[in-house]
Amino acid sequence: MGAAQQIAYFLLHPNELRSIAQWKVWHEPVHRRDASKETPTEKSCFHFLKLTSRSFSAVIQELNPELLMPICLFYLVLRGLDTIEDDMTLDIKEKEPLLRDFHNIMEQDGWTFDKNGPNEKDRELLVHFDDIIFELKKVKKPYYDIIKDITEKMGNGMADYALNAEHNNIGVGTIKEYELYCHYVAGLVGEGLTRLFVESNLANPQLLVRMDLTESMGQFLQKVNIIRDVHEDWIDKRRFWPREIWSKYVDNWDDLFAPANREKALQCSSEMVLNALKHAEECLFYMAGIRDQSVFNFVAIPQSMAIATLDLVFRNPAIFERNVKITKGDACQLMIESTQNLRVVCDVFKKYARRIHKKNDPRDPNFLAISAQCGKIEQFIETIFPTQDPNKVRAGLKQEDPKMDALETFYLIAAALSTFILIGVLMIGIAWYFGARFDQVFKNIDQKIAGTVTSSVAAVTSVAHEEL
Amino acid sequence: MASEKKPSLGSAMVIGGCGFLGHHVVRLLLRDYTTTSISVIDLRCTRNRRPESDGVKYYEADITDADKLISVFSEARPDVVIHTASPPAQSNDSVSHALFKKVNVDGTAAVIKACQTTGVKALVYTSSASVMSDNKSDLINADERWPTVRGENQTEYYSETKAAAEELVLLANRASPAPSLLTCAIRPSGIMGEGDTMVLYHMINIYRQGRTGVQVGDNNNLFDFTYVENVAHGHLLAARALLLTSSSSTVPLDHERVDGEAFLVTNDSPVYFWDFCRAIWAAAGSPMGTDHVRVLPRGVGMVLGFLSECFFAMIGKPPTFNRQRIVYSCMTRYYDISKAKKRLGYRPLVSLDEGVRRSVKWTLEQEKVNAEKK
Repeated sequence: MGAAQQIAYFLLHPNELRSIAQWKVWHEPVHRRDASKETPTEKSCFHFLKLTSRSFSAVIQELNPELLMPICLFYLVLRGLDTIEDDMTLDIKEKEPLLRDFHNIMEQDGWTFDKNGPNEKDRELLVHFDDIIFELKKVKKPYYDIIKDITEKMGNGMADYALNAEHNNIGVGTIKEYELYCHYVAGLVGEGLTRLFVESNLANPQLLVRMDLTESMGQFLQKVNIIRDVHEDWIDKRRFWPREIWSKYVDNWDDLFAPANREKALQCSSEMVLNALKHAEECLFYMAGIRDQSVFNFVAIPQSMAIATLDLVFRNPAIFERNVKITKGDACQLMIESTQNLRVVCDVFKKYARRIHKKNDPRDPNFLAISAQCGKIEQFIETIFPTQDPNKVRAGLKQEDPKMDALETFYLIAAALSTFILIGVLMIGIAWYFGARFDQVFKNIDQKIAGTVTSSVAAVTSVAHEEL
Repeated sequence: MASEKKPSLGSAMVIGGCGFLGHHVVRLLLRDYTTTSISVIDLRCTRNRRPESDGVKYYEADITDADKLISVFSEARPDVVIHTASPPAQSNDSVSHALFKKVNVDGTAAVIKACQTTGVKALVYTSSASVMSDNKSDLINADERWPTVRGENQTEYYSETKAAAEELVLLANRASPAPSLLTCAIRPSGIMGEGDTMVLYHMINIYRQGRTGVQVGDNNNLFDFTYVENVAHGHLLAARALLLTSSSSTVPLDHERVDGEAFLVTNDSPVYFWDFCRAIWAAAGSPMGTDHVRVLPRGVGMVLGFLSECFFAMIGKPPTFNRQRIVYSCMTRYYDISKAKKRLGYRPLVSLDEGVRRSVKWTLEQEKVNAEKK
């Protein structure tokens, strides 16, 4: 957006500018990273964090100092893994061992990698990976073990996908495969983060028992990105929407992007949104288990962004034409709301669920299922923050004043009668104004009646005459 | 489920078994359970009959005739009784009031007496979620802890009689003169499905008359509708739980007991009220989206409803459109069915989405069949 366009945009949307100002000026981090006390390798790590993650780096840097560096490194290690996996210029024979052994490679002092293609945007991270390895050595063992374990699982998962010719040529087949893919690229990240939170005592240990909640956190984010990025992925000849879903609407994947099939494409994207929405309750449940404010902020911000993005992509034809994303003002508003407490985040989810519901179309085959899923989100929020208390409801029954009903009825009748009278008076007034001659009415009636009687008599006489 | 052994319910009787809900209970009994015999009592047994090969025995009887009931029970010797009989809740005049009292309260008292006299082990009564509603306040994720609304607070006499009958049933649990009789009540909300002459019938009529373009309220109110097969399923799970309790020598703990309890049963999928209407219209063939819809605020709807009541009062007919319907379409009314999930193991068998499709399809086919007969 050019500067002039931007100014024009904000003039037309003053609320958005206000949200941005509010976030920039008034947001007070729970914790703030102190760069002046950092070693050169630590600085290097945060430099790469900013470089590779515009959205996450800010919230990571506000984390509790106990987890700040472990999570920063965790992020960078996984980004390194992803950079290798994503690089189409690397031969699979070289790529596979790197992915599968990355959890050991990251223990080799001084290891770096400079064979990424020149266009791979995060290649610099791997060129200087020795800094990350250096800092990993300083992480407390329990945290390190978690990072290593997830790196191993993720590397193996990525390698499996890289080797899967069918996946690369045909894309994701079933919904089950789709969710397995999301598990490897995002669910595992959630698992690692959760274990770090619990290990550091910043989250409820029950989150380790309810791994389904953790899984939903990752799945939700990843699915939203896959839905939003559909056009971009199509251009790059990647596809992540499961054939099990899109084949109900079009015969070939490319047909989804033809303007003539736009309504079919929208219905297909609705089913994708429905599939993602089912995770929303579990995400809220997960966030209820977080104890530390900075960790809460860290997990709540992306989830709020995700539900807002889901509203943006729902029944939005633009997703098949270009990249779409939420506006900067909305993003700042979401960040303000996500750094308060669970109740405010629940209100965000409810607001966006209702916006999705409002755009729902009865002609969509998933219309009622989407409505029910939005209803489930509201219902789940009611179980955490009930609006009604059965004891108050019981007390309310006894105290009810029956006269109120009678009074309301009286007012209603009075209003109706007043309306009738008013309209009647207006009608007569207008008629008089336009020259109605009310004084002639009775004369006319008399004359007409007389005329009728005369005619009747004549008829009778005539009949009598014929008989004679 | 074919490989699974079907649970046994002994000798089962369905009162009101030719009715809307009752005939689905009979169908599920045959499909999902084994029994030594199945009996049906209804006022008239000409509708919704099973084929002879199913071996269901039909008795015509008026449940308000206690002696007749006892004689039928003595012949059929049921272990389990599922009492679904009730007049439809449509009208609200003195004739209907008398009928509600007679069938719902006196009839249920007669059923209880017959159960106690003939050694029935389990009685499941079809109550209604409406016993918790005063027909004007919202019910937001209400569960069984919410009070029943009785007396002058209850504006629908139908609900008053259902609550009175439910109370009789629950008080009869483990009570003298038959301490071995176990009872419970199922409170369904907004039942719809094949054989539905209320919810679905009216919705499809609105579509036929081209009146789908009006919405009252902002459509952010959630409502619980329940597909009839799920309600029948809830009843049979309750019956089975009561029989298991009956054959057990120990009394169950409070948090797991089923006898003497009421259970809310829904599709566990509250939906926005007007979305449900639109889903039915779409299933009935409507090509419309929501572009043609005009939204009336609730207040305007109330005034129009009142005027409609005045007009119909003048011409001496019951109003087709009144204030209470405006209230219903703007009201939030959905339920938390955790108790039925935990204690009965209830889960909806059929989603609401699928339930709407099946029901509308069946209703349209029935109309076609009826048209051919003329």
